[in-house]
Amino acid sequence: MGITDKEAIKQVLTGDRDAYRILMDRHFQFVFRVAFRITGNQSDAEDVAQEAFLKAYHKLDTFRQDATFTTWINRIAMNIAINLMERRNRDLTHHASGIAEDSNFARDTRQDTRQVPDHKAGPERLLLDRETITIRQAAMSTLTPMERTAFTLRHMEDFGIPQIADALNIPANSAKQAVFRAVAKLRRALAPLAGGLRG
Amino acid sequence: MTHPQVHFTEEELIAYQLHDSTDEKAIRRHLETCTPCAELSESIAETLRVFSAEPVPEANLEHNWWRLRGSLPVLKPAPRRLRWLDWRWITPTAALALTALLVLDITGVRLHPAVPANDVAIKSQGPLTDTPVDPSSVTTHLDTAERLLTEVNHTTGRLDPTTRESAHTLLLHNAVYIQTARQQGNFAQASVLESLGRVLTTLDHEPEATEEGWHIRLSMNTNGLLFDIRILRQNDHRQ
Ligand SMILES: [Zn+2]
Repeated sequence: MGITDKEAIKQVLTGDRDAYRILMDRHFQFVFRVAFRITGNQSDAEDVAQEAFLKAYHKLDTFRQDATFTTWINRIAMNIAINLMERRNRDLTHHASGIAEDSNFARDTRQDTRQVPDHKAGPERLLLDRETITIRQAAMSTLTPMERTAFTLRHMEDFGIPQIADALNIPANSAKQAVFRAVAKLRRALAPLAGGLRG
Repeated sequence: MTHPQVHFTEEELIAYQLHDSTDEKAIRRHLETCTPCAELSESIAETLRVFSAEPVPEANLEHNWWRLRGSLPVLKPAPRRLRWLDWRWITPTAALALTALLVLDITGVRLHPAVPANDVAIKSQGPLTDTPVDPSSVTTHLDTAERLLTEVNHTTGRLDPTTRESAHTLLLHNAVYIQTARQQGNFAQASVLESLGRVLTTLDHEPEATEEGWHIRLSMNTNGLLFDIRILRQNDHRQ
């Protein structure tokens, strides 16, 4: 199984499309994972990863030999994911079930979380978990796609700031600022729930 | 920070909690004595804990591959990349080189008489060499091998029983052809047959699980071997 990514790419470029599966087996989960962080749901993440692999396939002959495939495809995927989220935000056609509107969110957090449990006699524990998830989702929805991407990749995936900046094609300082804004927004979104927290 | 009364900003404390601060020691010292900063820092830490990584589901690779594969055209390389990427392009050059080599071989410029001093490949195949074959029918052998490899190249799932059977039979005969080629001092042919032997052994022992076997097959570079076999056969027809 010693074939390298670059050898697999060569094989694909010489007409062996099944060699692409080698690349897919190695990198799809990672691309999917990053897309999941950015989009927040499985089906979008899968669509994004699919599109990224398709796009990469068509651009394979532009792949630079000094790059790594994983960095390259990850950048493609992140762009697709962010574009998708920005389009969603613009259209406002996408209303994830019961998630609060961005602008009023911080003020309405308490109300929103109380609307959640339409599900009946579940154990209280489950109810609380569901509440937590909804609060998290609602808070996350206050972030711009860029902020969300920078934050989730820095905090959840442990990407470095330079790596994020590079993938998003923005200066390192912008990536850093996006992370700061994200954490500040999330903290404020949680403040009404947490009680005595300073904010 | 030299003045304990100068507080850190929220940004600085966020950077600190994310381990992105260049001032980590100073901040840690400050937090030990400054209650407002410590509270803010803790509030940030709490936020980060709430948004700690939720598990990411596993993507279904099999499903995703087949979904993707339908949209993938077979790529035809642009002429400028052909030079080094496509073996069909290098065929003329390599064919010339190999043919020259083989012509030398046939016309009597033989290296050494066949003394298989380094005979590991043959010995390792042990009893398989006992299978009787007609050594002159190497052409047929190569023909069959070429068809088999072409078939294998186009198979993405498990090999069908006929193909496997064919691989097994070829393998049984292959060792004898290797030995004959060596005895005749035809080292080019022996070398190609050895490569063929390795591929056939892999196919013969292919795991039952579809994916695994297929991956091994993908990594075998049967294209290169097919090319070598075609060159050998061309040469053989000329004899
Ligand atoms: Zn302070």
